[in-house]
Amino acid sequence: MRLTRRHHAAHEPASTRKVTMGISPTELNSSDVHEDTQPELVKKKIAGRSPTQIALDRLKKDKIAMTCTVIVLLFIAIAIFAPLLTDLFGVKLRAGDPIHDTDQFNFPAFGPPDHGFTMKAPFGIAPNTGDDNLAEWFYGARTSLAVATIATVISTLIGIVMGLVAGFSKGVGDKVITFVLDVFLSLPFLIVALALAPIITSRFGDKPDQLEFWQFVALLSALSFFGWMTLARLVRGEVLSLREREFVQAARVIGVPTRRILFKELLPNLIAPIIVSISLGLPAYVTAEAGLAYLGIGVVGVPSWGQTINKAVPFFDTYPLYLYAPVLGILVLVVALNLLGDAVRDAFDPKTRR
Amino acid sequence: MRMKKSAVVVATAALFTLAACGGGSGNDAKVNATNNGKGGAAGSFKDPSAKGPLAVPSDASQGGTLTVMTAVAPSTLDPTQAYYTDSTAILSDLVLRSLTQYAYNPKTDDMQLVPDMATDLGQHNADNTEWTFTLKDGLKYEDGTPVKAEDVAYAVKRSFAIAELPDGPTYNTTFFLDGDKYKGPFKDKGAYAGVSVSGNAVTIKMRRPFADMDYYASFPQFTAIPEAKDNAATYGRHPLATGPYKFVSYKPQQELTLTKNTNWDPSTDPGRIQAVDGWDFKFSQDTAKLENLIINDNGSAQTTLTYDNVSASSYKQIASDKARLVQGTQPCTFMWYLDMRKITDVNVRRAIGYAYPYQSAWKAGGEIVGVTRVPGTSILPPGTAGRKEYDALGIKGENTDPAKAKELLKKAGYAPGQYELKFLFASDDDQAVATKNEVVKGLTAAGFKATPIASTVATIRTDRTDYNSPINIRSSGWCSDWPSGGSWFPAQWAGSLVGTEGMPNIANFKEADMDAEQNRILDKLSPADAVNAWGQFDETMEKKYYPAVNIGYGGVAMIHGSKVGGMADDNVRGMPTFARMYITK
Repeated sequence: MRLTRRHHAAHEPASTRKVTMGISPTELNSSDVHEDTQPELVKKKIAGRSPTQIALDRLKKDKIAMTCTVIVLLFIAIAIFAPLLTDLFGVKLRAGDPIHDTDQFNFPAFGPPDHGFTMKAPFGIAPNTGDDNLAEWFYGARTSLAVATIATVISTLIGIVMGLVAGFSKGVGDKVITFVLDVFLSLPFLIVALALAPIITSRFGDKPDQLEFWQFVALLSALSFFGWMTLARLVRGEVLSLREREFVQAARVIGVPTRRILFKELLPNLIAPIIVSISLGLPAYVTAEAGLAYLGIGVVGVPSWGQTINKAVPFFDTYPLYLYAPVLGILVLVVALNLLGDAVRDAFDPKTRR
Repeated sequence: MRMKKSAVVVATAALFTLAACGGGSGNDAKVNATNNGKGGAAGSFKDPSAKGPLAVPSDASQGGTLTVMTAVAPSTLDPTQAYYTDSTAILSDLVLRSLTQYAYNPKTDDMQLVPDMATDLGQHNADNTEWTFTLKDGLKYEDGTPVKAEDVAYAVKRSFAIAELPDGPTYNTTFFLDGDKYKGPFKDKGAYAGVSVSGNAVTIKMRRPFADMDYYASFPQFTAIPEAKDNAATYGRHPLATGPYKFVSYKPQQELTLTKNTNWDPSTDPGRIQAVDGWDFKFSQDTAKLENLIINDNGSAQTTLTYDNVSASSYKQIASDKARLVQGTQPCTFMWYLDMRKITDVNVRRAIGYAYPYQSAWKAGGEIVGVTRVPGTSILPPGTAGRKEYDALGIKGENTDPAKAKELLKKAGYAPGQYELKFLFASDDDQAVATKNEVVKGLTAAGFKATPIASTVATIRTDRTDYNSPINIRSSGWCSDWPSGGSWFPAQWAGSLVGTEGMPNIANFKEADMDAEQNRILDKLSPADAVNAWGQFDETMEKKYYPAVNIGYGGVAMIHGSKVGGMADDNVRGMPTFARMYITK
């Protein structure tokens, strides 16, 4: 603990205390000096924790946060080990045989809703196609989390860079980025996404092997390019207030390169809003992916909870399990991610400190 | 005829990318075959002597309102533009009388062509180039003014105004005198030589023999429209009723309300009754919602019906209550058109027919086998005059045989996986994707290399009609305009159509002997002989060239509330028989 703290103190003077406050180097040094004069026990108690450590400690004590972490980790495990899990349950993805697996009403010939539970298909099979629901669900978790994670990473990176640059550069740079940001905010996301899908299809429709890749790219682009603006605004606002602080001024005076000021002096002070934005962005992307898949935008032929829901809606009455499995998947994952995000935000928020 | 909008838009997948199934030849014995086998002799399709009034059934109560809910919406209700099955059924069955009409015959469970505003089914000269229809006396519009022969002549002239009123049937431009020159009464203020009026009779002159004019005269294009009250832009909002019901209000895409037309005289009408007080059509409804409403059958739902095909999820619930399910056929054949320029070896074409995974493709696409999709053999669907039942491959239109396909491919000199088949599918439609997956499985199992090409619901029709597209198979279908081979083969299988705009000859089928036979039937044979000759033509074409895989006939399965009476399948359109429906006591 102390080692880390010293490390921080040496390289990131600003992060030694409240992240959002931005402490000037002089202030910091004097306090350090002051601390040094105190007895060992007191020093440990007062100075031993960085804001991140404080936040993590608070998170560890938060039962809800811990439960949600376990749930999220479980989903991540499902996503990563989807092929192993399907083997374990003895099910196969997209291997349905409509003739033998469905009856004359196109309903499953075994398993729910008309027949008892069978280990052959623990979640039942899909009407019409006879595809296994459990395998679809496992791989759907993989699609959901992969899309959400990648989109979050990309949009966060874009948001941070744009926000930092906009906030730190005075005049033209700020105006240009703010303008771009406003343009993206004013574009209707859904309409752009709806317009993008057929373009990709017509461009790569005759190359089935490339189509899937480009649809994936298009989906990620649509999600990321419309997800960075809030964070960018947040970062820009923080940077605007931080850049006038003494420690930034000092860094400038002694000739620290701008890049270094941005990433070593300013960025560490922005950890809290960024983590909060990530933790709230993830569930939003899970929902967005499902929503887009429901609308037929997304990667064709790749299992996705949204697509399954789309197919299952007409069966809400006659075959509820078909609909509930993906809905529950999304619900549990999104609630867990959201609660975790709230907890992270609370943990990082100085105002909630005792 | 065009299928109702749902089929065109929503089911683009089902209709145009239909791919089908696979794998085994599994034939589920439980599949209940529907009553799809009634192709009769030509004569039984017409009854020139039918007289009104049509008896109101004894279990009918007078009054009440029937509600029709549907997920689709007619694009227009202008009589000249109406060409979808739903708009023609609503107009012709309830609101507008034409020269002739289709009337349901409960004895044969079939539609018959009977006179409507005309006294008979029309008189024609020896070579069918001049048709005369005489109007009955006492016909009136909803405002009480009498219907004149001039109004019918005006409606005929109006059907040439394709620029102002597009999307209607265009047989008039092909067959009527000066049909290629006359542009309708809005552009051409002068007289039109094709139509003449004398007293109560309307005479239509042709530029080539047109034996099926009596069928064509049943379209809403042959109603009466008073010229003084016409306005091309707004007439469709409230066409003047001559039938038993008139418009009260019409909100396009939303709702149409009809009420009794007191100036309609039942004694002149052999095909319609006026038992209920009014009709309420609710368009653009949610499928799951309307199906649940009707199935639960509470309160006003008892007098509610839909003309949408029941979905697989609801069919199961209603299947136990057969009295509230109307099943039948629509005169549509779904086909995989094999590009004759690209797939030149007939053995390969036949191999595709053996390879196509009929049942699994239907099921994966959400079709209920035997109900909404019926295995097909001849290209002409059941109910067509002169239809000849044959089985070109001996698989009854549903028994996939991969081994036979492999054998034929070997005979044609192709190793397994060597011959590539390319076809389109709508990637933004779940059911089209599911169907495509089954087709790929089936074709691969039979030794083909399957390459599905992605398209979208919105663009698949234009992609399909592109001559330069890399695909060698096109999925589409055709529905009769009237139950005769004459509305099938000259429209889709004439060699002269190859290369024309819109790709009407989807298979690019151009064979000298078949073209010669078509010309012989059209020019040399009497209408009665032609009817049967088309049936023979159908068989010869499929057996000799196999240019198309028949992937099933369209089926109809509509549900209604428990107090809806008289609802049967109008198998000319695949719609309910609105004209004779009532609320039961």
